[in-house]
Amino acid sequence: MPGETHNGMQCKEFEALLFDALDQKLTDAKKDRFHAHARSCSHCGPLFAEIEAGQHWLKSLQEVEPPANLVNNILVATSGIESYRLQDAAVSAKPALGERIREWVDSFLVPVWSTVRQPRFAMSFGMAFFSLSVALSVAGVKPGDLRQADLSRNGLRRTYYTTSARVVKYYENIRLVYEIESRVQEIKKATTPAESTPKEREKNRKDNTSGQPEPRQERNYSRDENQPVLASLPEPAPAVSVTTTRRFV
Amino acid sequence: MEDVQIVNALVRRCVAGDAVAWEEIVQRYHRRIYNICYRFAGTSDDAQDLTQEVFIKMYRTLSSYDVDRGAFMTWVTTMTRNLLVDHFRKTKQDRVTDSIDAAPSEHEDAMPLSDHIEDKGLPPDARVQSRETGEAVHQALHKLSPELREAVILRDLQDMDYREIAAVLKVPEGTVKSRINRGRAELARLLQRIYRQVM
Repeated sequence: MPGETHNGMQCKEFEALLFDALDQKLTDAKKDRFHAHARSCSHCGPLFAEIEAGQHWLKSLQEVEPPANLVNNILVATSGIESYRLQDAAVSAKPALGERIREWVDSFLVPVWSTVRQPRFAMSFGMAFFSLSVALSVAGVKPGDLRQADLSRNGLRRTYYTTSARVVKYYENIRLVYEIESRVQEIKKATTPAESTPKEREKNRKDNTSGQPEPRQERNYSRDENQPVLASLPEPAPAVSVTTTRRFV
Repeated sequence: MEDVQIVNALVRRCVAGDAVAWEEIVQRYHRRIYNICYRFAGTSDDAQDLTQEVFIKMYRTLSSYDVDRGAFMTWVTTMTRNLLVDHFRKTKQDRVTDSIDAAPSEHEDAMPLSDHIEDKGLPPDARVQSRETGEAVHQALHKLSPELREAVILRDLQDMDYREIAAVLKVPEGTVKSRINRGRAELARLLQRIYRQVM
């Protein structure tokens, strides 16, 4: 009970020393008397144990880390100026040119690569690879040839000149063929009778005021292929009278 | 400990319109104010909003700070505490703890709480256990009445001395000590109940 004396200490004195005891400020002699009273007094002992335990729990709480953007938010809300430290850090932490280029390339490649890695595209890429390999084998390209390719500086130059010569030769051959072809056409034109020029054909078309459609438009798409087609008709064409009998059912 | 002269110089520069000095003040005190707000309000979002409010108020009233009337830290803590009290009144939180005078249950006398704490076996992952313990203490702290909560926060979490706490809370030192003791004991009872349920 409060006011009782245990081990030479009253409960009132115990309460007075309580904070010094919790703050570890008691002298050795007082500490002994204090703890002796705590052990023997049914009121002060449990009270001290509870307070000490509460202090222990509270001291075990660790400082929490504020959100990263808190300082900047405060600065924007008060002075309206963003953190100078952040600005300085951003300037000093500017990445090198190579790194920036890599980041820029990655910004394109990473999304594509993540898409490509999906299983549903695996069959498509398999087929594409198969088609490419078939096309290369048909074209006569063999991996063994590529392995033997001379990639030295002189070798590349030689390959370049050889390829250029081959292209020029091919071009000359084609030109010769076209020249011969054009000559043959000229000879053909000279031996066959002259046809009416496109201008004359246009004029004839305009002079035709009969209202009849042009022969080209008369083309009947349902005409049987077995039906004979006359190459030419005697001028003027004979008048043909056709009598049809319609049957009504 | 804050370097009084440096802080006073920062305040003077800030009042003169030096934005860098203001940022220095924010960098120095935001962690402490955030922690007080977090432990008092209970959630990170509230703590963030309240910390911003404290600094907005500080920015507006910085010119009224009188060096002779007390330490800058005490001035800042008083402002924080006043805003927290306003926040508490707005949110109308009710006291949910039992009174310190409530009769202890029959099990509580059986063994001192410190023995309960010592007896608990450590699970394999001590870090997880520590985090869970921290969360339990935080929840229990939030169940204390605001008077007791602010007293133990300032004493046991912010390591302020009784005189500074008395200045912040505007109550005598004896009242401060009484509130701290009651707060600690009440917290211990709450946690004892929680751990008894778990065990």
